Formats: sequence, structure tokens, C-alpha cells
Amino acid sequence: MGDYLLSKSNVHQWLSKLLARYAVFVPIQVEKQTHWHLLEPQDLETEPDAITPAQRRIRASEPVKSFMFQPRRQVASFPDPLMPEPPTPRLLLGIKNCDLIPLKVHDKILGEGEFEDPFYLAQRKNTLLVVADCPEPEKSCFCNLLGLTPYAMEGGDAVLSVVDGNWLLSVNESGKGLIDAAPELFKELREGSSEFARRDEQRHAALVTLNMTNAKPWNPDLAGAVAARLGDTAFWNKHAETCVECFGCLMGCPTCYCFLLYDQAKGAGVERTRTWDACYEAAYARVGGGANPRAEFIKRFANRFSCKFSAFKTDHGMYACSGCGRCFKACMGKIDIRKVLGEL
Amino acid sequence: MSNPYQPIPATILETHDETPNIRTFKLKPEREIPFLAGQFVELTVPGHGEAPFTPSSSHFKRDTFDMTIMKVGRATSALFDLRPGDRVGARGPFGQRYPLEKFEGKDIYIVGGGVGLAPLRALFLALVHEIDKYKRVFLRYGARTPADIVYKHLLPEWQKIPKVDIDLSVDVSDEKWMKKVGVVTCLMDEIPCDEKSSIAVVCGPPIMMKFVNQKLLDAGFQGSNIYLSMETNMSCGVGQCRHCRLGPYLTCKDGPVLTWDQIKNIENPFA
Repeated sequence: MGDYLLSKSNVHQWLSKLLARYAVFVPIQVEKQTHWHLLEPQDLETEPDAITPAQRRIRASEPVKSFMFQPRRQVASFPDPLMPEPPTPRLLLGIKNCDLIPLKVHDKILGEGEFEDPFYLAQRKNTLLVVADCPEPEKSCFCNLLGLTPYAMEGGDAVLSVVDGNWLLSVNESGKGLIDAAPELFKELREGSSEFARRDEQRHAALVTLNMTNAKPWNPDLAGAVAARLGDTAFWNKHAETCVECFGCLMGCPTCYCFLLYDQAKGAGVERTRTWDACYEAAYARVGGGANPRAEFIKRFANRFSCKFSAFKTDHGMYACSGCGRCFKACMGKIDIRKVLGEL
Repeated sequence: MSNPYQPIPATILETHDETPNIRTFKLKPEREIPFLAGQFVELTVPGHGEAPFTPSSSHFKRDTFDMTIMKVGRATSALFDLRPGDRVGARGPFGQRYPLEKFEGKDIYIVGGGVGLAPLRALFLALVHEIDKYKRVFLRYGARTPADIVYKHLLPEWQKIPKVDIDLSVDVSDEKWMKKVGVVTCLMDEIPCDEKSSIAVVCGPPIMMKFVNQKLLDAGFQGSNIYLSMETNMSCGVGQCRHCRLGPYLTCKDGPVLTWDQIKNIENPFA
């Protein structure tokens, strides 16, 4: 649709207008971490200087998938059926590309094909996504190794670049409502405006940082390399040595979409709940009769890599990883996925 | 938009005890579940969970369907406490059907073990419903003891169908048993059909599947003609939850029946 500049002095006014249209979530810094926060009108009074700096930080601790594919939710009831209620329009202002790409994974599994998940789709369609550039990647970030960038190339409803404290917004047709909320606050930018050059410098610098942190590229046929190593127990054992099976890497992962359905009696009926599951769980693949194809942990450890970097690539043409680094940051055993894949 | 996790109510019309721990349930769903032989249905036992089963009745009659189920875990134990008139939940059909068009004009060699005959019965009934389309249908079935044989009351009738050839074995016989004694592969020393072109269909416990498959390959069956019912943890039924992943396949979506050619490169597929 177009490119717009919102000066730093107008940011809070714009946010207050957005609050009338959407439930607005923004990243905020809490101690050393960034977390998603439901913006309240009073936040604009009490924390006026906290919102813009947080947009420049890396992704929040919570993966964005949690907004559409909730950690736990009811998905059926019996005998009376359950259908999703219309959700409130939401705006996630400041997701990062490493959270946008994983939504493609979820779209493919839950939002396309013969069986669509109505609960996921209802939330997905009612959530506007503003994808903020990530000008200050950290040591745990590795999107560049997956051929991705610390800014959005496509997708989302708008792209935000914070340049010298001002907000540069590149808005798609689907994000029109963001500008319509307060058009008087924006200046439309023409091609060749100096803000674009500043944005591009910033993006380039972020890429340089990432390329220095993660200098050695992975095997270009990573899917084939993982598949070829699947039975090499010694290789996986070496890398799994410090794993304590806490599942932190899986629960924090923005792409993992495994789930468990379970039923609970409620009154005279039954509620069916879907909860995130972890493929490291011992009983994950066990069948009713007790047989278990991945009874040994090392098979489950290797299976995770096979699933993300081989099977998903083969089936869907993309890796089920965006290089966000949450798995590494969550790991008590300090297992760095980059080291494992770097040896393939 | 429909909800793939939502079961529809189905009433238990009648039950038939096949063995001390295997029972056939005749179910009438509120809406027809348009299954074809090979596909499966997720059965909800209200308050106790859900488990996948392949209907064991003919897909030519779908206002009701049968499921022959072994009492083995929490959900099936609770199911065995239900009586005619009680309601369960059902959702499906899921997975792939047998490609019956590829079976036409050929010998079909079916091998079942234990309760594994249940899903094969849906195939068998579909085949005999249009028996003229197929050359011959062989059924080789093994159970632990004569008391463990399912469909005892139906087998004599099936044997009378033209072009059908049935043989049975038990691991442990009793004084009345007149047929072979041994695991089901003892019925396969002579396979009376053209191995190169015939279709083999196998369902049973993993160890039985492993040895039957090997015997079929040794006999000259083509890997693309051996259809195997793979037992994995099929939970969502719609290719999403990934519990049933088997190598490159999700058995709930790509199976549960896969050919040997599809799974032969998977490490230990019958684990």
C-alpha cells in the first residue's frame, strides 16, 4: 500500500488510537528479557519511553505461535459440539521475522489442506501482524544460517523499522487499518527518501553482525545430511550428552506444532483439550499395546532434528526452524543446535 | 468450517463377543461416516479418551458399521463396560483406502494374525461384494488358540463363497482342532497364486508382520504389491499432531496401510 513515517513524538498518540480498534500487544523489556504485553491506555502515561526501545530488541521470550496455537485450549466437546467463538481483533505490534516465518509452518499444517483447524484460523485471521526489523541481533540468533534475514522480506501486514527513534512503516493492503486509525499522524514517504537509506544501512549492519557470529554456513543439503545421519547413534549421543529432557527447547520453539488431545469428563459430557506436546516425551510414539518405536531417548533426540530439518523440508520446502535461538537459550545442558547441525 | 477434532455421537446397537477379550461393536453414527476399506475412525469413549480403529464391516453398507476391538488399554477397557443403547463418539474417516482398482483381475492373498483380522474383514467383504472383479481371494489367518479366533461364526460362510480360499492355524491347539498348528507363516509354505503379480495384504502384531512380510518377499511378491497395516500412535487422525510419524510418513494421513516399497528404507519399521 505505501511507506509512512511516524515521528517519535506521535507514537503514543497513534497507539492510543489503535487501542480503540484492537487488543494491542507490544514487546516490553522486563529485566533482561523481552515479553509480550497487552497494552493498556495507562501504559502510555506511565511508561512513555519503554515502547520504542523494545522494538529494537530481539524477539520476545514467548513464541508468537502462542497467540494462534495456544499452549492449551478446548477443541471439542461431547455430545454437544464446540465451534470457535469470533475472536476480538488483535494487533501484534513488533513481532520479528524469526516469529513470522514459523507462522508459515503453522499455516501449512493447521491452516491448509483437507483438514483445517478452525480455532487456529479464527485467531490467525483476526490478528494483524507488524513485523519489526531486528537491528541488534544477539549471539544466540542464527537466522542467517537458514537463509533468512533479521527483517521481513514478505508476509505480515506491515513492516516496522525504527530509524533514529522515528517509526518507518511499510504497509500492505491488509494493514490499511493501521494508517486509517490516525492518518493525520503519518507522513507518506516517497521513493528515495533518506529514511530508506538509513533503514537499509541498519539492516545491512544487522546482517554483518549475524554473519560474524555465525560465519560457517551449514551443509547446503542439510535435509539429506540429517537423513543420512539418522541411524548414527554415536553422533547423536555426543550432542545429547548434557540433555536433561526438560523439553525447554521444544516448548520455546516457535515452529514446533506437535500436540496431544486428551478428554476429561465434565458434568454429563466430555471436554476435549489440545495441549502442546513434546516429541522428547518417552510415551510420545507409544501405541496402545505398549510397543514404542522410539523408546530410547537418543532416537527421540535424533527424530527432532530429522523432523525439523529433513522431513519438513522434504514435505513442505522449508525448514521448521527460523534461527530464533530460543532452544539454545532455554537449554540447561547448553546444547547449541548450531553446533549439532554445523557438524553435518 | 468443520471441526476435525469434534466427534459425532454414535449409538452401540449390539455387541458380539469374539473371544474372551475381543468384542465386535455394531455402531450407528448420527451421520454416515463415508469410510472405504483401509481407512480408520477415531472412536471416543466418553470420559476415557479416544483411539483409532478400522471399521471391520463392508463399506457397501455404511448407515451402521462394525468395529472389532481388543480390550488392551484404558479407553478399550471402558468401552467394554458399555452396553447396547450407550453412546460413543466417532470422527473420520481418516487415512487412505486400499487401492482396489489395482487389485482387479489379480489374486489377493490376505494374511491376518489375531485381532488383525478385524480391519482385513472390511477389505475381504469389499472384495467378495464384487468378487467377479478379482481372480481369487485367499485368506490365511493365525490365532494363538482356537478360542482366540475372531469371526468363528462367519468363517464357514466365507469359505462357501466362490473363488475364496481360507486356511487357518493356531499356535496352540486343543483336542478338537483339525487344521494346522503353528504360527501363521506355516500356512505360507505353498502360496497357490502367481507371486509376481498377486497382491498381498497383511495385518497383525508387529512381529507377525515382520515374518510374514519376509516370507512374501522370499516367495517373490513385489514390494509394491505387499500392503501392510502399520501400527503407530495415530492421535489427531488428520496429519497434524505428528505422533504417528513413521520415517517420511504420517500413518494417519498417508496410511495406515503402506506398501513394503514405501517403508523398506525405514529403520526397523515393525518396532
